[in-house]
Amino acid sequence: MTDRPSTTKGRRPRTRLRRRVSGAIALALALGTVGVAYATVAAAATPKAQVASNAPSEDPVEIRKGRQLFEQGCITCHGRNLQGVQDRGPSLIGVGEAAVYFQVATGRMPVARQEAQVERKEPYYDEAETLQIAAYVQSVGGGAEIPTGNLRGSDENLAEGGELFRLNCASCHNFAGRGGALSAGKYAPPMDQANDLTIWTAMLTGPQNMPVFGDNQLTEEQKQAITNYVQTLKEQGDPGGAPIGRMGPVPEGLVAWVVGIGAIMLMILWIGAKS
Amino acid sequence: MSDVDGRHLHAGTPVPDVDLETYRTLSLEDQAHEASKIDGVTITHRRDRFPVPGTKAEKRAERVVALCFVAAFVGALAFTVCYVVLPWRYDISSDSYAWFTPVLGLTMAISLFGFGLGAILWAKLLITEEESVQERHGGYSEQEDRETTAAIVSDGWDMTGIARRPLLQRVLGLSVLALGALAIVPLGGLIKKPKGELFRTGWAEGTRLMTGDRRLVRPGDIEAGGIETVFPATEEGLSMQVRADSVVLLIRLRPGQTVTPRPDQEDYGWQDYVAFSKICTHAGCPASLYEQQTGRLLCPCHQSQFDLLQDAKPVFGPAARPLPKLAITVDDEGYFVARRDFNEAIGPSFWERP
Repeated sequence: MTDRPSTTKGRRPRTRLRRRVSGAIALALALGTVGVAYATVAAAATPKAQVASNAPSEDPVEIRKGRQLFEQGCITCHGRNLQGVQDRGPSLIGVGEAAVYFQVATGRMPVARQEAQVERKEPYYDEAETLQIAAYVQSVGGGAEIPTGNLRGSDENLAEGGELFRLNCASCHNFAGRGGALSAGKYAPPMDQANDLTIWTAMLTGPQNMPVFGDNQLTEEQKQAITNYVQTLKEQGDPGGAPIGRMGPVPEGLVAWVVGIGAIMLMILWIGAKS
Repeated sequence: MSDVDGRHLHAGTPVPDVDLETYRTLSLEDQAHEASKIDGVTITHRRDRFPVPGTKAEKRAERVVALCFVAAFVGALAFTVCYVVLPWRYDISSDSYAWFTPVLGLTMAISLFGFGLGAILWAKLLITEEESVQERHGGYSEQEDRETTAAIVSDGWDMTGIARRPLLQRVLGLSVLALGALAIVPLGGLIKKPKGELFRTGWAEGTRLMTGDRRLVRPGDIEAGGIETVFPATEEGLSMQVRADSVVLLIRLRPGQTVTPRPDQEDYGWQDYVAFSKICTHAGCPASLYEQQTGRLLCPCHQSQFDLLQDAKPVFGPAARPLPKLAITVDDEGYFVARRDFNEAIGPSFWERP
């Protein structure tokens, strides 16, 4: 602290105090605004529990519309009769409407280019069109159907869902549904954008490299439990404070060492500095 | 203060320049100067930060320090209030409880930081500046001290008379030896050569395959491209204390995928099903990240990859041996059973492994 002659400007400390106070208020306001905005957006982005009632119809009109869409958007890679095209796209015979729903509703299909893994993107078709394509593919090849009814069950199943999730899903998708790396550029995607129906159809059809979990292996009640668990997990607060990606001890340790120890080092330097 | 008088304490250390009478007439500051000289400490620089008391600068500094202690007070009080008032119970329908821990942490941090910052600022802003130098001195004691101490110890030893009492010598030696053995013998329990147990698991001929929720597995249960973790359907099959070695991954291949079997293992699979030990041959982690299109099984611990279509041959990472394969078939009632135990030891390598 330097000794400043206190007689030169009598009012100076007061204006400085005022400036500090107003700065603090501005900072608090800015932080508050960002926090409220984030909470609103996050709440809006959180998918609500859904009851699937809009399964594809067997209405010939819908199927014909689906066929039109298929012939415009999908035929190049999947072939005229869904038989697939060598080195471009697989056969769709027997994949079923559930697979179509998962691939199209998450924007993975139509695919932009061939690479290690087809990525999630903004869906190209809307919900109605997706279901029309699904109805067409189902009418030609058959296969896993889009589930209907209550997709989450009741909250009593959460503990069971957690157990099943850790046993069957967590090895690839991470214990908090954050996803993880696989071989050669492939990865298990994080689940934060998944809705109930995409979780179900993913389990039913095993998209890309994910194993299939049919109804004889995980019953409908068990799938409800897993879905409920995943969605509840996403909506949960983080009682310990900052989630830091919910990736577990590695990033938490990194933050503790770099930020925490860094701050302590700076503080030690400041304490030891000559004043 | 009485130490000033005790000049016999450390011969060789600097002695106050003044006698006790004069010392008592000195000001407190000068007394402190003289006192630190006993420890060889010389104050080289000392300056009041505020030579004129009561200036505005001094008052401001005092206010800053006071503010820190007020923050400490408020933080501690807020901690107590939050601890009592805030909802803490887990509630599935809202995350109101989620604030409990962070708020406790924050208020306690404010309190502790307030105290710390206040103390440091007090020292930095208000307390008189001072720099001192302390002379180094040798770490050993004086020759006189060393000799007298040695004499006392030797005399004590002599008084026990142990040198001329051989009976006591022997008995004492013996009992000390026994005490040492007492400490070492339990370590022997740690030295144990494994016999057969590392080569055996819970599987035997006809043992059915059971899932983690105790369902028996039938061929229709898993879709093509599906996997299931299975355990021996015995009483202790799910016990991780007894049968952690028996975990098996049952895989149903996709149409068109075939496994090239090892010699003499042509009959280990059953139609499009294969079963491999889930325990990685590198460090024993559960290798269960299965890519159903490429047929690769990944271990999350050290990124080993096994190509199941080449009979779980390791194709990447530190694992050196393929995963042991369990021979399976279907029994009369249509359930999967093991044909026999693994034909090799599961998991990581060890010395006795052939």
